[in-house]
Amino acid sequence: MPSSTSLQARSVSKAFTTGKLRSAVLQDLSLDVGAGELTLISGPSGCGKSTLLSILSGLQRPDQGDVNALGQDLGELNTRELERFRLHHTGFVFQGFNLFPALNALEQVALPLSYLGLTDAEARRRAANSLEEVGLGPRMGLRPSELSGGEKQRVAIARALAKEPELLFADEPTSALDAANGQIVIDILHRIARTHGTTVLCVTHDPRLVGHADRVLTMEDGRILSDHRPAIAAGPSGDDIKETSA
Amino acid sequence: MVALARKTLVYEWRRFLPAIVAVCFAGLLQLLQAALVLGIFGSASVYITGSSADLWAGYPGTQSVNLGRSIDNDVEMRMLMDPAISRVEPFHWVDADWRGPSDNGGVSVFVSGIDPRPDGLMFSLALSPELRQRLNEPNAVVVDRADLSSLGVNVGDSAIINGRRVQVVGVGSGLRALGGVNVVASLATARDLDTDSTNAGRMTYFVAKLHNPADARTVAKRLRGAASFGPYDVWTARNFARRSKMYWMLDTGAGAAVLFLAGIVFLVGAAITSQTLVAAVVGSVREYATLNALGVGVGALRKVVLEQAFWVGALGLLGSLGLGGVLFLLARSYNVPVAFSPVVIVACVVLILGLAVVSGLAAMRSLRRADPATLLR
Repeated sequence: MPSSTSLQARSVSKAFTTGKLRSAVLQDLSLDVGAGELTLISGPSGCGKSTLLSILSGLQRPDQGDVNALGQDLGELNTRELERFRLHHTGFVFQGFNLFPALNALEQVALPLSYLGLTDAEARRRAANSLEEVGLGPRMGLRPSELSGGEKQRVAIARALAKEPELLFADEPTSALDAANGQIVIDILHRIARTHGTTVLCVTHDPRLVGHADRVLTMEDGRILSDHRPAIAAGPSGDDIKETSA
Repeated sequence: MVALARKTLVYEWRRFLPAIVAVCFAGLLQLLQAALVLGIFGSASVYITGSSADLWAGYPGTQSVNLGRSIDNDVEMRMLMDPAISRVEPFHWVDADWRGPSDNGGVSVFVSGIDPRPDGLMFSLALSPELRQRLNEPNAVVVDRADLSSLGVNVGDSAIINGRRVQVVGVGSGLRALGGVNVVASLATARDLDTDSTNAGRMTYFVAKLHNPADARTVAKRLRGAASFGPYDVWTARNFARRSKMYWMLDTGAGAAVLFLAGIVFLVGAAITSQTLVAAVVGSVREYATLNALGVGVGALRKVVLEQAFWVGALGLLGSLGLGGVLFLLARSYNVPVAFSPVVIVACVVLILGLAVVSGLAAMRSLRRADPATLLR
């Protein structure tokens, strides 16, 4: 199904210099990512997929090339404008959850919302809704120390989701989780893409996730090797696929 | 707005405890340093601050109370002629040598010859009327309670000052001096003890009380300059007290050493406090970086860090003031010269809070490591 392009990279290159050694991480890479679908970038460690993610999301600037997100050329924005862009249009999920130990789930999700200019009541309402959507409604009063790994990642997703971003970036979201929890998380990300029309870009080296994405790009040595759409046999939950391949 | 700074401080108090303790001790050091400096150098002007005179007349250019030369007796007349002055009293200063009953080396004493009348101006705040009454006896002296051991006497014993026998008739407190031991006597006794013949018929200081103390500066100015009375100068009590303290603080080695030490102590406290606070803040770098990735600006993160630094400072200071109060009372009971002034306490509090906030700002620089791109490694 054709989807409109919300994220675009044109001839992006990035190299890192450690001491005297300059190693090219991304080489003249071009890419279009569509809205309303879950795009997976997979590849071995060190292939540059995380760097690509940070450049596409505006966390880093490329050495060469342009990135266009939602029609905005990210290269034209200064640091503060990039922060504002991220605040209003992007969400992030990281491998390490990165939740504040002192806040309960509701507070974790409401925290970034207060910087959007929402009232406290509105922020809490939206936070509660997000947590319900990821299935943590009954556990929103708990702190990270009382939650399992899978639940913590779901709180992180709710935190990214509550801002209602057009772009959602996930870096190795399931690598710290067991198979069951990993499946729950990737299904949530997939559902978000479809029901909210969000552009979800997920970077992973976990091969189990390939079957759950709408589009899979494989990378190696800073270049995209292949770009295909796996045959979608999955229903609303991933259980169908599991049973078929078992 | 979720109270991130406060909630983190409360829930993760163990992480911030080293910083709070560091601030507490840095603050304690500052407060006690200040109390000691005020106490030690305050005793340089105990003759002025323990008395109720508004004006002092003495030799021109006297740097400190204990360094006065004698002036003409007629200066008293000059002062009494002024309508703003209600009373004038002489104050006779004698540098002397003390020999106590036990045979050890000499002790340098400052004899203060004062008018022992019950409503006298000199040492009115340090001596009770009953002690003053006892000074009327011939060759009677009063010393500070804390000096009994260095003088080798008890109340009732006799000793020898400048070759003359005197008797210790009582002890007071608040009489400790800087640079020697204070001995209080009547003017008559002091005259007998003064072996310097150039002082005959002259007096070291005249002190005066005004009808209206607020006029002190104007009256002092008015009284100066009458050349026919020989060299003399008139100062307000406050001015002379400050000059004496400053002399000891800045013009003597002891003062320079104490001030230097106070500066070093502050630097050490500042370094330790800032390092521990930075360590506490850095523990949250990844979470701050995540917030930054989600679009929360660095300025907003800075506010969170500064709020935490402020609370750490405030809690630490609470500890400083509590412990400081206890130690202050302890020092007092052991006759260690300590004094406090509300202005100085407020200054210390502001200094330490400022230190905590500046440390918070330093911790912010480490938040540059909160570059979200590093989260993706």
